[in-house]
Amino acid sequence: MIGLMHYLVVGAILFVLGVLGIFLNRKNVIIILMSVELILLAVNINLVAFSVYLGDLVGQIFAMFVLTVAAGEAAIGLAILVIYFRGRGTIAVDDINRMKG
Amino acid sequence: MIQLIVFLPLLAAIVAGLGNRTIGNVPAKLVTTGALFASCALSWPIFISFLTGGAHAHVVPVLDFIRSGDLSVDWSLRVDTLTSVMLVVVTTVSALVHLYSWGYMSEDDSQPRFFAYLSLFTFAMLMLVTSDNLVQMFFGWEGVGLASYLLIGFWYKKPSASAAAIKAFVVNRVGDFGFSLGIFGTFLVFGTVSIPAILAASPDMAGSTIGFLGARFDVMTLLCLLLFIGAMGKSAQLGLHTWLPDAMEGPTPVSALIHAATMVTAGVFMVCRLSPMFETSETAQHVVTYVGAATALFAATVGTTQFDIKRVIAYSTCSQLGYMFFAAGVGAYNAAMFHLFTHAFFKALLFLGAGSVIHAMHHEQDMRYYGGLRKHIPLTFWAMMAGTLAITGVGVLGVFGFAGFYSKDAIIEATFASGSESGGIAFAVAVFAALLTSFYSWRLVFLTFYGKPRWEQSEHIQHAVHDAHGHDHDDHAHAAHGHDAHDEHDHAHGSVSDGTAGYHPHESPWPMLLPLAVLTIGAIAAGYVFHTPFLDAEHGAAFWQGSLAFDAHLMHAMHEVPMWVKMSASAVMLTGFVIAWFAYVRSPGIPAAFVSQFRILHDFLYRKWYFDELYDVIFVKPAFAIGRFLWKRGDEGTIDRFGPNGVAALVVSGSRLAGRLQSGYVYSYALVMLLGLAAAATWAMVG
Amino acid sequence: MSYAESLSLTLSEVILAAGALVLLLVAGWAGDKATRLISWIAVVLLAVAGLALLGPAGAAFGGQYQADSFAAFAKVLIYFAAGASILIAPRFFQLADGSHMGLRAEYPILILLACVGMGMMVSAGDLLSLYVGLELNSLAAYVLASFMRSDQRSAEAGLKYFVLGALASGILLYGISLVYGFTGTTAFDGIAKAYGDGVSMGELFGLVFVFAGLAFKVSAVPFHMWTPDVYEGAPTPVTTFFASAPKVAALCMAIRVAVVAMGPAAHQWQQIVIFAALASTILGGVAAINQTNIKRLLAYSSINNVGFALIGLAAGTQQGIAAVLTYLAVYVVMTIGSFVCVLQMRDAEGRPIEAISALAGLSRSRPGLSAAFAIFMFSLAGIPPLFGFWPKFLVFDAAVAVGLLPLAAVGIATSVIGAFYYIKIVKIIYFDEPGEEVFAANNNVVETGLMLLTALAVSPIGYLAIPVLGQLSDRAAGSLF
Repeated sequence: MIGLMHYLVVGAILFVLGVLGIFLNRKNVIIILMSVELILLAVNINLVAFSVYLGDLVGQIFAMFVLTVAAGEAAIGLAILVIYFRGRGTIAVDDINRMKG
Repeated sequence: MIQLIVFLPLLAAIVAGLGNRTIGNVPAKLVTTGALFASCALSWPIFISFLTGGAHAHVVPVLDFIRSGDLSVDWSLRVDTLTSVMLVVVTTVSALVHLYSWGYMSEDDSQPRFFAYLSLFTFAMLMLVTSDNLVQMFFGWEGVGLASYLLIGFWYKKPSASAAAIKAFVVNRVGDFGFSLGIFGTFLVFGTVSIPAILAASPDMAGSTIGFLGARFDVMTLLCLLLFIGAMGKSAQLGLHTWLPDAMEGPTPVSALIHAATMVTAGVFMVCRLSPMFETSETAQHVVTYVGAATALFAATVGTTQFDIKRVIAYSTCSQLGYMFFAAGVGAYNAAMFHLFTHAFFKALLFLGAGSVIHAMHHEQDMRYYGGLRKHIPLTFWAMMAGTLAITGVGVLGVFGFAGFYSKDAIIEATFASGSESGGIAFAVAVFAALLTSFYSWRLVFLTFYGKPRWEQSEHIQHAVHDAHGHDHDDHAHAAHGHDAHDEHDHAHGSVSDGTAGYHPHESPWPMLLPLAVLTIGAIAAGYVFHTPFLDAEHGAAFWQGSLAFDAHLMHAMHEVPMWVKMSASAVMLTGFVIAWFAYVRSPGIPAAFVSQFRILHDFLYRKWYFDELYDVIFVKPAFAIGRFLWKRGDEGTIDRFGPNGVAALVVSGSRLAGRLQSGYVYSYALVMLLGLAAAATWAMVG
Repeated sequence: MSYAESLSLTLSEVILAAGALVLLLVAGWAGDKATRLISWIAVVLLAVAGLALLGPAGAAFGGQYQADSFAAFAKVLIYFAAGASILIAPRFFQLADGSHMGLRAEYPILILLACVGMGMMVSAGDLLSLYVGLELNSLAAYVLASFMRSDQRSAEAGLKYFVLGALASGILLYGISLVYGFTGTTAFDGIAKAYGDGVSMGELFGLVFVFAGLAFKVSAVPFHMWTPDVYEGAPTPVTTFFASAPKVAALCMAIRVAVVAMGPAAHQWQQIVIFAALASTILGGVAAINQTNIKRLLAYSSINNVGFALIGLAAGTQQGIAAVLTYLAVYVVMTIGSFVCVLQMRDAEGRPIEAISALAGLSRSRPGLSAAFAIFMFSLAGIPPLFGFWPKFLVFDAAVAVGLLPLAAVGIATSVIGAFYYIKIVKIIYFDEPGEEVFAANNNVVETGLMLLTALAVSPIGYLAIPVLGQLSDRAAGSLF
């Protein structure tokens, strides 16, 4: 029987994967965008699982909002990435350090 | 009227001080001098009305000053006989000194500042003498201290003047600390700082005790002694006297006003003002007597060996203050006040005369390089003569005498008449000190005005002679030359064989001579005119009106003393004169022979009983050592190393580390965030 | 409560949201020509929205939205900061030769949208409205950060802000999901009730994650790493905005979450807040010392200041919250003033100069600007008698009142470190030899007026406002308890 705990563990694993994706990846900013999506997915799994477990709809509504926001976020992220690429001609994570100190 | 007397000098000081260079020399001098003469003109009618019995003590409120819990301090001006005496002394001498300074300071380039300080001092002194409560008196007390500090260090570019100013300030702090403790204690005991209230309550307090520093003390003795420490500091009594001779670094008019006639007598005034308090404690009176006697003796002995003309007069002042104190100590407060009164005239006269001599001798102050000045500056000579006759107490009993004759003899008789043991010792000291007074006073006159000119060895004179060819008179920077240095200098002899080095002293201008003339009149006549109201048993009680503890019995007893006591003062005066005449006019070789014979004694006296050296070893050196230890080991070694410098180094390296952490890479930023998150989660779980 | 009533309570957000959408249409139709007009309308809208705050208090939409004096206080500051950021933009993007560096009509609209989001943040009574408000603000902010598309640093700033912001909101969301799961509700009062009867492990984790997400928004250490880079890269008017309005919104949101939703778990979050406060004041003070770029330096200064404000939150009492609100009010004024001063640093062509060394000897060529700079620096350093001293004193006082003596002591010590670099700038302005760089003269009435107004407000004259400010902040803080 698959219970709440299984969903939470999956959510946690996805969350950690997403986080690791952000700072282990040195190559491509696109991967960071995907990792962010992964984190939001983990959150959504949590929310829906809790919603079902608690028997109220708030979690699922929340998940809908998160999906919407995630879509907007991805759009804006890609847009910023585009102007960045236009300026620098690269989207390698290691190159994004003109400002430091 | 009394408000005008007190606040005109303040107003003038503000105008001259703030206006300073913008209003220029002459307006500043006019404002301050005019204000002082106005004050003086207003003061004399008050004094005369008390003299004729037409006035009574009254209090003029000015402001409601402090009101905090039980402490209530009204700012009001008290006018009674005691105050009126001080008023005329302060305003008269101050006005004359202001006028005198027109001439004496005419070459100085910051005259407005000088006159502003002088007026400020006068205001503070007037606040002191008109105070109706101890807090206000303390205000005036500190005010005169401040003005004194500013004026001693007036030529602040002279290191010795700055050092003297600091010394005066520090030594006075010691006294003021005692005084402030006395005020606190008085408030604690009486619950008020109002002087009339305290004096009224004092007799009831006599004999009660108080716990202080773990022991029981007689309340009145403790309070009186604490207050007396303040008086000792201000009046340069033995132990706290060291600042007064050094204070001679200030301009001479300042010495005349502050360090002879007025401020230094504040201690005497305070003791007289609080005389009913002192009357309740025999111990305190004895202490006052002994300290006064010791000071009189000490200063007189030192005065006989000094060469700096101003220092001689300074030690003379110190000695005369001792007289006033032991007069107060034996209960003859009116005699003390009378001596204060006459002393103000003749000592101011002596100082201003000395200033005139110094002015004539181009800022040379060493009497060894004077001589034969009688013919060159005759007016100054006659003024100094009058002052000397006054201080030595020349007079014929029952006919006429100079000012000191009445006041000093009254003190000597009072000490004898008091009949107490301390009075007896004071009497002996007084007579001996009178001998010394006569000696050093005549010594001063003879060295300065008689004999042959010895000017050629003076650096100042040599400068003057050189400068006379091309330059204007030099500024006061000449006075910066240390006078101690003269001892070692082996001066080249001038080309002119008469010892004048071709120098011609000039008599001082009239602004300097006029005050001398006025004070001469005071020195001649003040004793004769005023001795009846001040001293007489019947008239005195009517005159003082209870403004100080007037002892009619003692005054009666003074008249009854044996004839030899009455004559003793005149006798020692003559003796001193004769010795001085022999030693410095008849056969000038005697002093040198005497000095070589009694080397140790002379050094002891010349070095002022080694007080400065003693203090240097006991207080100054250890203080510097502690300071250096704290500075090198404490500050730099410990606090700076682990404190500011250490922290600064830490901050700089921390800043570099933070800069390196801020690598610019997104992933390292994310890592820091996650580390923070993990740390917070761990903390929350463990905590 | 009817739907209409709820809408009336949210009037200021409605005004801003509707206004922003209409202006967006205008911008789409009229193009960049209308930028000036749209900017002024946006400012008027902010003023109107500010007036709408005078409306009734209450809870709208089933408690999702709280209209109380706390939110109103925060919104006044936010609207003021937003309005100032709009007003100072045109001249920044304008070059001397008449061309411009990319100010477009979207700029005021994006700020309006961010304001709607911030309004939701400070009024949120539920994690859902909190999240939506936060994201609305963040998404607008990402775009604003990279607004100068031609400038590589601006794009990099936007990218960094976006990546880290997304990570932070992921962390916050994860925390929200945990809180929701273990308390069974997303409403603040329900959460408070659940935390009231013991804090379970899941609830504790939720709390930590939520606070981490909030700490990112207020740029408290160790979630501050984005701040210097973004402040440096973003166009200066945008930096002005970032340093003022979102700081207020995020801190007020954090206060509401901490006090209203998680008040019963105060013992748990207090430690985190204390650590963040101390770390922020220390790092903000220390790291600023080596900076050569004035905007970066002000970024560290803002981290430093947030640390001080958090000291008031750590106290957790009404007095402490009132102190934080006062702090924010003064901080917003100081920050806007100092950034307007930074805006004056531009060369003859109108291009911005950011090197601190360019300020050398400024007092000789521009005495007025130098005086303003000095006032703001001394005020930021919290040196009496300037007004910046007062809020610092209040937060320390609040911390001491609840027995957090060590916190206050360290805070005071670090403010000394902080004072060093502020005073260093004053020293450079007044005592260093001037270089060849000469700033272009300022002929902009709006900027001069703002500089004058803010300088006067943080000068000792500001102390006159203490009674009013104290009463307002006290009432605002009181509405939470």
